Amino acid sequence: MHMNNKSHRVLPGFGLSLGYTLVYLSLLVLIPLSALLLKAGSLSFSEFWKIATAPQALSSYRVTFGSSFAAALINAFFGLIVAWVLVRYPFPGKRFVDALVDLPFALPTAVAGITLATIYAGNGWIGRHLEPFGIQIAYTPNGIVVALAFISLPFVVRTLQPVIEDIEAEVEEAAAMLGATRWQTFARVIFPAIFPALLTGFTLAFSRAIGEFGSVIFIAGNMPMVSEITPLLIISKLEQQDVVGATALAVVMLVISFIMLLTINMLQWWAANRHKGART
Amino acid sequence: MSIEIKNVVKRFGSFVALDDISLDIPTGELVALLGPSGCGKTTLLRIIAGMESADAGEVSFSGQEATHLHARDRNVGFVFQHYALFRHMTVFENVAFGLRVKAKKQRPAEAEIRKRVMDLLGLVQLDWLADRYPSQLSGGQRQRIALARALAVEPKVLLLDEPFGALDTKVRKELRRWLRRLHDEMHISSVFVTHDQEEALEVADRVVVMNHGRIEQIGSPDEVYSNPASPFVYQFLGNVNVFHNRLHGEWADVGSGAEADGKALSFVRPHDIDIEHAPVAGGLEAQVQDVHAIGPVVRVELLHGSELVEVELTRERADVLTLSNGQRVWLKPRQVKVFAAESPLEEAGSGI
Repeated sequence: MHMNNKSHRVLPGFGLSLGYTLVYLSLLVLIPLSALLLKAGSLSFSEFWKIATAPQALSSYRVTFGSSFAAALINAFFGLIVAWVLVRYPFPGKRFVDALVDLPFALPTAVAGITLATIYAGNGWIGRHLEPFGIQIAYTPNGIVVALAFISLPFVVRTLQPVIEDIEAEVEEAAAMLGATRWQTFARVIFPAIFPALLTGFTLAFSRAIGEFGSVIFIAGNMPMVSEITPLLIISKLEQQDVVGATALAVVMLVISFIMLLTINMLQWWAANRHKGART
Repeated sequence: MSIEIKNVVKRFGSFVALDDISLDIPTGELVALLGPSGCGKTTLLRIIAGMESADAGEVSFSGQEATHLHARDRNVGFVFQHYALFRHMTVFENVAFGLRVKAKKQRPAEAEIRKRVMDLLGLVQLDWLADRYPSQLSGGQRQRIALARALAVEPKVLLLDEPFGALDTKVRKELRRWLRRLHDEMHISSVFVTHDQEEALEVADRVVVMNHGRIEQIGSPDEVYSNPASPFVYQFLGNVNVFHNRLHGEWADVGSGAEADGKALSFVRPHDIDIEHAPVAGGLEAQVQDVHAIGPVVRVELLHGSELVEVELTRERADVLTLSNGQRVWLKPRQVKVFAAESPLEEAGSGI
């Protein structure tokens, strides 16, 4: 497409709005994060490496990223079903169920954590029925996954809903007319269409879960080396006045999160664009 | 494969979409379902395809009952108005879809699929677009791909739902002619839905005119145009002048079935009226209101009393007459069709 060097837009104010965007992002994101890096910079590299790779820290990374990944994966599957049902089928109380999905956004995460811990404890409503099978949820890493799945559910559902709404019924009918079974229609026509959105929802859920603190500490049991998440380790370092040590861990989290999000974003970009083909 | 539809009824809530429809479509025919929107034509097509189920009645293909057969087992090709191509697949994969989803035993080998798809793309003259995605094609190209995709599974029946509705006039005309040729080459039965009477008259072997869930008339394009069975068909197919029961002389005589007391409606096509300068026996006196030259024809609007009359003349005739606004002239009909005015006339779709 040919464009003049100076394009004329209907709405003016590109300079102003971009300036505002940069100031806003700087105040909220860039400056605090730079301060974090600066603070961590007061450590020598060997000191930093020692703190960052301490056994307790390493196991906390495993717990944090492992359970976040598991929670996001669970939500990708069940969130897809929830979104599908909410979009495709009319049923009584649909609005109510739709509103329920947003609840994890609004509920204080500590409340969620306490509630989940009570219900899934060995003597709780649900935990009681799982105990005989040897399944323990509360106060184990399983509990962390449950809490993270709870708080990250809306991200998958809300990302998928508009995309599922966007699939024309005609496309499914076309597949059926060509002889495709229901499963073939889903696997070959519908799933590829919603896959980029599913990946986006997964990413959002995953990153939300990595940063979660409030709900997890109530249900996790917080046993060092077993069910201690990195954010909690940071807090306990701060409580011991070890600000530099806390910063070091924070930087590690920052870097890992950034790399993971970048990777998933690129994957997502690839998934969304591979069908557009080369521009001609 | 022939299609037989027997006493099909379909309701949506209290709305009757199809009211006891019976229709036979012989093998090899290209049939147009024509009618205004909401007349049930698309519903009928979807019932034939198996995407909608009839509340009552039967659909059979070549005498075999198919009323409850699932859409995917009917071996019917379907083309949608808005193409319904698979956005995430290349043109090639779109066309190959119907072959790839076949059960393992019936699925052709990869090389065979490749050949079949390229043949079909050649047939629709778009083989050079095989690697593109639907978003990179124009509307006309997309619809041709949709057609190739529908033909890939070698259907015995091809159904098209307003196939050219979303395209511009020039592409539409081209595709019409092309569909006609394709239909003749493939030896299949085709049914297409349209609200465009020009399209139906130009392409189809037979036209089924529908209104309010009922069939008004079935006939060849010439039959439905020249010999409409009802006032609705008359008004829906082309422009027409309607005269309300004050006709006499030649105007009333020409028609058949006119009632003596004049309680009748007379229909005359604009091109079936001639204009004379001098009074003629039985002619209607009228005053010229406006003269437009539209391409090869000249359209004249006249006032007869308080009624507007439209007349279409050839250019030659208009040149001879040299009409001017306000001039008094006499109208002479060549052909009048009279219907008893039992029911009030309904608003029909616009003419050409």
